[in-house]
Amino acid sequence: MPEVALAPAVPSLAPSIDPSAAMISVEALRKSLRTGSTNVEILKGIDFRVAKGEFVAIMGASGSGKSTLLGLLAGLDNPTSGDVRLNGTAISYLQEDKLAQLRGRTIGFVFQSYQLIPTLTALENVLLPYELNDESGDRKAGLARATALLDSVGLSSRVDHYPVQLSGGEQQRVALARAFILKPPIVLADEPTGNLDTANGSAVLNLLLDLNRTEGTTLVLVTHDPALAAYAHRRITLRDGLVVSDERTASQEAQGA
Amino acid sequence: MAALSYGTAARIAARELRSSRGKFFFVILSVAIGVAALTGVRGFSASFRSMLTLRARSIMAGDLSARTTLEPTPDEQAGLDKMAANGTDATEVTELTSMASSPVSFDPLLVSVKAVDPRKYPFYGSVDLVPKLPLDDALTASTIAVADDLLLRLHLKLGDTLKLGNGLFRIVAVVENEPDRLSGSFAAGPRVLMSEDGLRAAGIMSPTSRASRRYLFRMPLSKPGTPSSDASVAAMKEHLEGVLPEAQISDYREANPALTKGLDAATGLLSLMSLVALVLGAVGVAMAMRAHLQQRLDSIAIMKSLGARSGQVIKIYLLQTVFLGLGGGVLGVLLGLGVQMIFPLFLAKLLHITPDFRIDPKAIVVGLGAGLLTTLLFTLPPLLDIRSVRPILILRRAMEQSDDPFGRRLLNKLRGNLAQVGAMALILVCLILLASRVSDSAIVGNVFAIALALILLILLGLAALTLWLLRVFLRGTRLALPSSLRHGLANLYRPGNPSAALLAALGLGVMQIMAVYFVQQAVVNELHISTAANLPNMFLIDIASTEVEGIRMLLKAQPGVQGEPEIIPVVGSRLTEVNGVAVADYRPKGVGKTPFIGPGSGGSTVRGMSRNLSLTWSPSAATPPPGDKIVAGKWWTAAQAADGATHPLVAIGQFQAARLGVHPGDTLTLTAQDDSFTATIAAIYDTDSQHAYSRAEFILPEASLHGLPTVWYGGVHCDPGATAGLQRALYAAYPTVTVINVAATLEVVRQVILQITYVIQFLAAFSIFAGIVILASSIAGTRYRRVREVVVLKTLGATRPRIATIFSVEFAVLGLVAATVGLVFANVVARLVLHRALKVDYHFQPGLTLLALLLTAAATVAAGWLASHRVLGQKPLEVLREE
Repeated sequence: MPEVALAPAVPSLAPSIDPSAAMISVEALRKSLRTGSTNVEILKGIDFRVAKGEFVAIMGASGSGKSTLLGLLAGLDNPTSGDVRLNGTAISYLQEDKLAQLRGRTIGFVFQSYQLIPTLTALENVLLPYELNDESGDRKAGLARATALLDSVGLSSRVDHYPVQLSGGEQQRVALARAFILKPPIVLADEPTGNLDTANGSAVLNLLLDLNRTEGTTLVLVTHDPALAAYAHRRITLRDGLVVSDERTASQEAQGA
Repeated sequence: MAALSYGTAARIAARELRSSRGKFFFVILSVAIGVAALTGVRGFSASFRSMLTLRARSIMAGDLSARTTLEPTPDEQAGLDKMAANGTDATEVTELTSMASSPVSFDPLLVSVKAVDPRKYPFYGSVDLVPKLPLDDALTASTIAVADDLLLRLHLKLGDTLKLGNGLFRIVAVVENEPDRLSGSFAAGPRVLMSEDGLRAAGIMSPTSRASRRYLFRMPLSKPGTPSSDASVAAMKEHLEGVLPEAQISDYREANPALTKGLDAATGLLSLMSLVALVLGAVGVAMAMRAHLQQRLDSIAIMKSLGARSGQVIKIYLLQTVFLGLGGGVLGVLLGLGVQMIFPLFLAKLLHITPDFRIDPKAIVVGLGAGLLTTLLFTLPPLLDIRSVRPILILRRAMEQSDDPFGRRLLNKLRGNLAQVGAMALILVCLILLASRVSDSAIVGNVFAIALALILLILLGLAALTLWLLRVFLRGTRLALPSSLRHGLANLYRPGNPSAALLAALGLGVMQIMAVYFVQQAVVNELHISTAANLPNMFLIDIASTEVEGIRMLLKAQPGVQGEPEIIPVVGSRLTEVNGVAVADYRPKGVGKTPFIGPGSGGSTVRGMSRNLSLTWSPSAATPPPGDKIVAGKWWTAAQAADGATHPLVAIGQFQAARLGVHPGDTLTLTAQDDSFTATIAAIYDTDSQHAYSRAEFILPEASLHGLPTVWYGGVHCDPGATAGLQRALYAAYPTVTVINVAATLEVVRQVILQITYVIQFLAAFSIFAGIVILASSIAGTRYRRVREVVVLKTLGATRPRIATIFSVEFAVLGLVAATVGLVFANVVARLVLHRALKVDYHFQPGLTLLALLLTAAATVAAGWLASHRVLGQKPLEVLREE
């Protein structure tokens, strides 16, 4: 799919968000990796904020640093410098297990390659974050929500199936249900339709948007696909580790209008 | 497409090896540990055994001995000369009793003369003299060495002269120890050790004198420092039986049954340990190669998507396997040689022995061969899978699984890969041949091979069954179980998870480690009995009935004497008939072609028994004497014993029973003091060769021998330092009783057996340690598969303790199931090896087995934790970025 041509250093059209009200706040974020004797700078200083309930698409060519950025937003790695705040909490230098707990309660993650646990059924996979993070001990409530979520993604007849028994589209729908089980304030999705055909891709996207709307979550989505990005409220484009544009999409403007 | 040349394939294989050295190092190390254990254990045990058998030969002072009372006939002499021409060294030892006296006091004394050729005797071991003198210098035509009680009895000292026959001999030394004291005759009177020239000068030998001749033989050494093999000794024995048909031939293994038992135990156990090392090495290789090839699936898919054919890819990975197998093999051989060099350093302080370090090319070839063959064997199944790797794998991560049952999948795989199946079968045959080469004990080898094949099949079957049961169980209970437990259990049948292989490897490992431990423990216990401190090491000859009680009291009061003295009655008798057939006409059934000849004590040959046979009775009416164990028939009851005068019963040693070809129920007619009586054989027994009763081979109830002239013989244990005092005290009170001190010789036996126990414990510990390392590395090899799962779990909010709990459940179940099966088989193998090969009692030890079960589970969890430690600490993005 052709990359959308963007002029470098387009001034940000994004609304200025009060830092205290931001659900995600990224400040001077840098990440470099050492491969052998060379130091590769993947992110070269990134700043942006995402408001509660906002849907942001992060775009960029391969190697532009978008997946790394998403990983840092989820606290899957430590930045070289800079900071990420989720709902006001600085996460970049949190201790590993604290980070895992925060991630579990705050973030739902959708991977391009689904990443379901192969030994657990669809229902168990959806229930897993609940079991890992819920402290209420109310298993019934979790089970009911997992069943309802699977129902909402059209998999009520596949709850006891193992991942290998599901198609790619079905697996990704299970992954979506899993991401929303704890009603996380933030959902991060990395090319969620990248491995799916058009029909499955749009079905998954619609589900993602529906869930985003009904659950009121903040959604950050990494994609190559301008058509997919067009659904977002806002589009941040990266090139060589820098934000080259941050703008409201036409759909958002139309909505705003 | 042009065919991929071996050069190019080798280059690609080598590039890949270089690109991830860390992972390949791990594979090479697994191969190396296995090969090192094999080479080290085998090499060391070979040189230790050589050293041990050299010491065992010192009990006889030769490889073989031939005892006779007759001069060799011209034919026999010709046969002996021919043997000498073929490199077999021989020397003659003459033993007889004679009267000696002091030329000063003229006190006469019955002495036990032993004449040797001091230039040759002894072939093994040494004669200890005080003062220290070479035997050749001490024994000349006019000088002798004597036992210290002779000096005591005749009031002589070193340098004095002893009159023996027509000769006067200067006493130049006291004999402290003769290596072959146990295998010589226990004649009355203190020892006089002299040269053959001296014996001739004394003129005490006459054609009618009942001198006993022993020819000692030393076979040509196959290699310097390596004694001839047991097989060649046995062949020589058979040959000697032809050359000297009237002689009683025995080989060094018969000189002391306790020692032989120790040697056999050592051989069997060392064989077992070598086999265990071989198989554990193979397990390590298998698990490492399996994990390694799983990780290469992406590379394989990429190559295939570029047009590589399966055959070409297999060629690359086969070459890589050969590089790894050879690399690991060479490293393993070097490590093994290192182990072989280091072992003696550890043992030198403990045992005061240093086995020679020799590089045995055979052990190296076996080690390298085993490394390469096992690597190839266990790499072939995953290599076969290369054919089914589809390039889509690089696009689609999820492992596709066939829903076919296991059997059908296996059948399909076999059908499609007949060539590889053939190659595997060939390699398997090579491995079995290697295993039989590695095992010195045929029985141990067979038991082990059969058990191994069985356990592999059963373990794989059980592994499949366990996983199936787990699946059924989880389906039924699923959401009722705590999630960590459920997840941990579910992980066991994770697609691509080598649970079945790991279960088989662990079970096999546990079986082998514990079998070695159980066998080693039983053997060491048994050997400790043979080295118990209170076994007789001094024998008292010619005690009159009236002296028995007095001697018993004296012994009890004497310092240094330990335990209860054993004093046994002996009634002189002759064997006249067997089952009603006169001895002269009797031909035993089922006894070899030379039924009249063979090793043994007491009456020696059937013909000998017709002249002289010692009978005894047991101290307890209704039980066998101490140290004897019934092997056939039943011991008599107290009532039968009381009825012994009317219906005599007899129990005989199994050796004599075999020589006579008799069984319980047969009859022997015995004549004592011109009275004949026929006794029915009630029982056949085996002796422990340690108690005084071991020297008696015909035991009857006391009533059967009542009234016959009886002489008593005694056996007592005395601290080696107190033997001189005991000899003096006995001489002062009972001057006619001869004391034979075999403390020094028995100490040699005890030391050798102790050395055996230390070495087998040491080697068992080494094998167990190597096995644990290999198993731990097998578990560690699965860690790469866990990385992705850890990342997903972390992304979903799982903390490290939570993930560790999930893995602990998985590892604990693996450990428990594997240990249960492994321990059941360990007990079965230990029982078979102990009973069949080593003739040692087996006792099931529930406590130890349970402890091993729990320890295995704990060790599996610990190994899993250690291996997963780095995986747990990995940042999720590092892994996701690689996608």
